[in-house]
Amino acid sequence: MSAAPAEALPLVISERQNNAQRVSALDEKAQAAGLRRGMGIADARATHPSLEVIEADRQADQRLLEGLADWCDRYTPLVALCDEGDGLFLDISGCAHLFGGESRMLEEIAERLLQQGFDTRTGLASTPGAAWAAARFAPPPGEIADGCEAEALNPLPLAALRLDEKTVTGLESVGLRTIATLLDAPRAPLVRRFGRQLANRIDEALGNIEEAISPRLPVSPLSVERHLSEPIGTLEEIESLLRMLATTLKEDLEQRDEGARQLQLALFRVDGAVSRISIGTSRPMRDPIAITRLFHEKLARIGESLDPGYGFDLVRLAVPASAPFKTHQGDLAGREENEGEGLALLADRISARLGSSAILIPERQASHQPERAISLARFAQARPVASSAQPHSPIRPIRLLTRPEPVEAAAEIPEGPPFSFRWRRALFRVARAEGPERIAGEWWRASAPPARDYFRVEDTEGRRYWLYREGFYGEGESHPRWFMHGFFP
Amino acid sequence: MTPDVMAQGTLYALRQKIAQIEGQLPEKLEPDSESGRTVLRRNGRPCLAINTGAEALDVALGDQQPTLVDISGRQSRDSGAVSGFALALAARACRKALRDPRWVLWVGLDEVFFETGLPYALGLEHFFAQPAEQLLLAHAPKLEDALWIAEEALKAGTFSAIFLELRGNPGRLDLTATRRLRHRAEQAFMPLFLIRHSGSSEGSGQPSAALVRLCISPAPSRFRHIAGEALPRSIGPPAFCVELRKSRSGRTGTHWLEWNADDFTFQERTAPGQGNRNTAKTSHTGSVLSAPFHGPHSAPQIRSPLADERRSG
Repeated sequence: MSAAPAEALPLVISERQNNAQRVSALDEKAQAAGLRRGMGIADARATHPSLEVIEADRQADQRLLEGLADWCDRYTPLVALCDEGDGLFLDISGCAHLFGGESRMLEEIAERLLQQGFDTRTGLASTPGAAWAAARFAPPPGEIADGCEAEALNPLPLAALRLDEKTVTGLESVGLRTIATLLDAPRAPLVRRFGRQLANRIDEALGNIEEAISPRLPVSPLSVERHLSEPIGTLEEIESLLRMLATTLKEDLEQRDEGARQLQLALFRVDGAVSRISIGTSRPMRDPIAITRLFHEKLARIGESLDPGYGFDLVRLAVPASAPFKTHQGDLAGREENEGEGLALLADRISARLGSSAILIPERQASHQPERAISLARFAQARPVASSAQPHSPIRPIRLLTRPEPVEAAAEIPEGPPFSFRWRRALFRVARAEGPERIAGEWWRASAPPARDYFRVEDTEGRRYWLYREGFYGEGESHPRWFMHGFFP
Repeated sequence: MTPDVMAQGTLYALRQKIAQIEGQLPEKLEPDSESGRTVLRRNGRPCLAINTGAEALDVALGDQQPTLVDISGRQSRDSGAVSGFALALAARACRKALRDPRWVLWVGLDEVFFETGLPYALGLEHFFAQPAEQLLLAHAPKLEDALWIAEEALKAGTFSAIFLELRGNPGRLDLTATRRLRHRAEQAFMPLFLIRHSGSSEGSGQPSAALVRLCISPAPSRFRHIAGEALPRSIGPPAFCVELRKSRSGRTGTHWLEWNADDFTFQERTAPGQGNRNTAKTSHTGSVLSAPFHGPHSAPQIRSPLADERRSG
């Protein structure tokens, strides 16, 4: 792939290979001038002094390729990057008919990439190996019909089998120069000499063994999409289209008797950039209106960062995760039987807008440590617990500081309540106190805090606090420390 | 019993007619199996009345329809008392009307939660019998987000009470914003408690559309009693000093209340400061009321001058 401006010098890309700067890629002009890949840069400069040399940037290449892969998502959800980093695999099984057949699809892809300024080589075959070879070595358009892999590959050089350089040179040194000769040669000695990899590559190319490409993105079991001849750009348009897609999706979900737990909206921009917006739901959901509302919050949040550019011409709504859906029946008076439903929807909308950590639900834990006895879980991930209210719960504050704050306290020695304490730079005089309530550290945990003596204290103005002392007076060198932990009504 | 039933029937028919005119679902009278009372449902939801159980304050509060209640505290260190009072009002409202789960939503700004701590479910359970599993905490980075959450929650209408916790008097929470919240709360028949910490330094500096405005400060509690004996230096039930600044009846005033967590009700009590000014009066008030009141009154006499000295110095 190389993009060349019209009136430019011959362009080569240089890269350090085997301790020497060599030509790793070159444009048509440079090729016409007789330069080749693998040539030393010094030699190239000597033959063509007016040569533009650019240092290779693998990472930038990779980014470009990923951008292209994103763009190719419009054809199939199964897009994989080549191991060599110079191409893409598209698994178009079951997608070709949407674009009028395989050849038409291939033409369209090549043409649209050309319009974007990419010079591409394409290949189409039943196996990834054959397609790889066709794209690189067969004459355009590089189509290999199903079952004709061997025939098509026969005249091609050995490099078309995705073999490493050493193997290729080794094979060439024994006179095997085309794939045909290799296929005719007996297998066993070849494997013995060049390894199992060689046989595997042959079989993969011919389709004797299955080769799976590994797609970049997880494939959703369900998705609906719409191609638009007129690109859309405003949020309203996106939302109304989303509503239509969600309505279609509802039927699919109903057939499977499922509801969506995760939804992903992919917006394909005309110029190839793809924006993916994901939301999670706390219960299986299939109501189009609810889905649209969830996305509405998310879109409202990311509104500015979503750059429509010249518009989106493909919108896809996918369901990466789903779960069985239970249906309810409400009563006629309109009393909400499924109160949890409204709650879950609200929680989902809040998480869509402010992130899933914005809405929390307390969960009881088996611990005496006050800060561990209740943990805050994200609503979507919380597991429903049966109410297990203890009849005689100890007196606990109604507000607990996330982190106990140190206070300076003057207290009765050895284990009395404080007389006065200084917290947040203010002095408080204690009028009354109750305690101590000793909460021992959980020694079975590695990072357990030491034992604490908790006191309920009331200051002279009637505020009630929960203070604790960590450590004991007269034990060891260090003085015990006092902390403010919570507030009572 | 019969005339009562007849009257209820007529009432129900009238309500249905009104609902038809208003285009709403009819109110539904539902017998409450436990207490034999009837529960009023409007738009399919039970009505949650706002009252305290202390007669004088209830009269001053006036109409008990749920609405936006503005509760403020003088300093952020009063957060325990301020949020405690709001929770107590909410607990009363649901206790009277509901048998169903009582989901409560607590919306707060990140900065507030950082300063005053997060609501602690075990404490809510102990003082207000609020089940830990039915508390939702939402924290928002900005005031607009917090307002949005509160408003959406009111629209969704699945909660028995919503708390919106702020700090000070943010400019964004003006007359329009509060009117909006009040309107939503009244439509949803759901109380919305707007809790402002350190938000009342200059009285009611900012206009607010809330019909009920209260300023809460903590009050010294009474001693805990065991078998009629007061335990020295012990801390009794939560006590509050409630300054009613705005009410639907137009009355204002200061009330001293004490929360009874067992009966879910507030009880009026004497102001602790009275003991200071007039010792004779204190002993008199004590004797009029029940015997245990003698206990605490001796304590403020000793303590308060100390506190005053410190404040002046």
